[in-house]
Amino acid sequence: MASFGSQSNPAVTSTLSTAAQPYGVDAAKSKSSNISWLKALRLQGKEGLLFIAGVILIWQLISSFSHFSGKYLFPSPLLTAQTLWTSLPELLIGTVYSFLILVPSLALAISIGIVWGLIVGITPALNRMFSPFARFASPVPPTIYIPYAIALLPTFHAAAGFVVFIGVFWPVFLNTANGAGALPQHYRDNARILGLAKFEYLRRVAFPATLPQIFSGISVGLVFAFIMLTVAELFGASKGLGRFVQFYADYADYPRMVAGILYTGVVVWISMEVLERIKKRSLFWLM
Amino acid sequence: MSAASVSQSGSYRSTSGLDVRALQFAYDGAPVLSDIDLQVAEGEFLCLLGPSGCGKTTLLRLLAGLDLPAAGTISYNGSLIQGPSLERGVVFQNYSLFPWFTLAENIELALSKSHPQHDATWRRNHARDYLTRVGLADSVGQYPSLLSGGMQQRGAIARALALGSPVLLMDEPFGALDPINRAKLQDLLLELWVNSRRTVVFVTHDVEEALYLSDRVVILASSPGRIIQEIAVPFERPRSRRLFGSREFIELSEHINELFREDVLQRIEADSLPALVKG
Repeated sequence: MASFGSQSNPAVTSTLSTAAQPYGVDAAKSKSSNISWLKALRLQGKEGLLFIAGVILIWQLISSFSHFSGKYLFPSPLLTAQTLWTSLPELLIGTVYSFLILVPSLALAISIGIVWGLIVGITPALNRMFSPFARFASPVPPTIYIPYAIALLPTFHAAAGFVVFIGVFWPVFLNTANGAGALPQHYRDNARILGLAKFEYLRRVAFPATLPQIFSGISVGLVFAFIMLTVAELFGASKGLGRFVQFYADYADYPRMVAGILYTGVVVWISMEVLERIKKRSLFWLM
Repeated sequence: MSAASVSQSGSYRSTSGLDVRALQFAYDGAPVLSDIDLQVAEGEFLCLLGPSGCGKTTLLRLLAGLDLPAAGTISYNGSLIQGPSLERGVVFQNYSLFPWFTLAENIELALSKSHPQHDATWRRNHARDYLTRVGLADSVGQYPSLLSGGMQQRGAIARALALGSPVLLMDEPFGALDPINRAKLQDLLLELWVNSRRTVVFVTHDVEEALYLSDRVVILASSPGRIIQEIAVPFERPRSRRLFGSREFIELSEHINELFREDVLQRIEADSLPALVKG
């Protein structure tokens, strides 16, 4: 969990990308157009690009030297790119199907996780009541629910939605409850001085004060959401990102399969970047 | 708090202002304050002066109602203090404003509690008024983290004023400021106090600040925190900083420093005694 969380720390990465520019001031100025898109992709200088180029080169070498049916089992970067392009319509439709499951579950899990996490976090009695259960239930790997959810719930859509919900709810809830339970005393003091009622305290003090932890919960939850979704789709979807990969793997069409994996990676990456932007905008006051 | 102690207190004490009687407070079993008796008259400017660790901040929190005494009573205008109230506004050392609200939003939040009958437009206009009074007219829409420490404390004072509290409790509000800003804010506070005549209880460890600002200085000593002396400050108002060079001022601060030195000596002796016996 910690490793997922650390993947997206805007404070750390943004200082790195500005501080670690190896050029002098003038050089930085003349290359400002380059640097702005480097920054947008959060590639920290040339090294990141060089590494990716290296990976593609090695990929090309391996695929051209593997003669034993390697062309199909290990498609070259070029073949993969071509397949990705021709499969794009199908992948986009798959994305829509996946997102129809993902977005509602994600929204529901995040809202319930935040509200319940805040309430439990600032109410010691509820905390004592709920945390033993949470300690037992939260570490259960959510993938383990998939077969049962598919058997139990009427549609695949509902089953996949349920497991995505579980995967997102726990990290959001746990982070929110921990954050709200450990707020600096002075926030509480100020709220008491102002005579804020409990709901006002929740909405205007506890919620914004807990936002940093809420966002780390959502970052972890978002990664989990994609894991749960694609795994669930391997079981029984008609369309979707995970289904695409599984379908072409069954027909041994590995170029399409690899293209599907790459495409899914890009979708997850873009989603994380969008979340990162929202986070930076919401936490402007944390300077 | 029994009903008897309340009626008894009412019978032989003045019921106006703050009234602390036989106050005890302990933290994790260690006594922090013991036998505190203190009266603050309506409109008085009182300084609680003492070295760090003497419990003066704790006493202020008790006056605010943020903590409750282990024994003894604190009342305001005859009624027991059992929790925070809009009657007593508080300015903390450096965290009175919520960082996710602009200055104006912070003041508007306070106004929404002190004047619940008014609408958002009224609150917006009055927030601007209060911020103008503390010299922050140009920073209305700023977030606290972008402001200097001095500006943040001006904002905190504006918030306390917006609460409309007759009593202002201030916990080393200028302790983290540079000397110039500190002097400016001291004068601003005096000006506001003269205009509104609120009761002020001001915690500080700075002897000069206490003598410059207050009508009366209450001096605390440590372990456990207790009042060792009260001094009525003899200087005429309005006061000027030229006062600091006068013989009377120097003698008075020397007297207070002497009290602190004795306290420190006693603490060192008390601490080292067991070690000496062992050795």
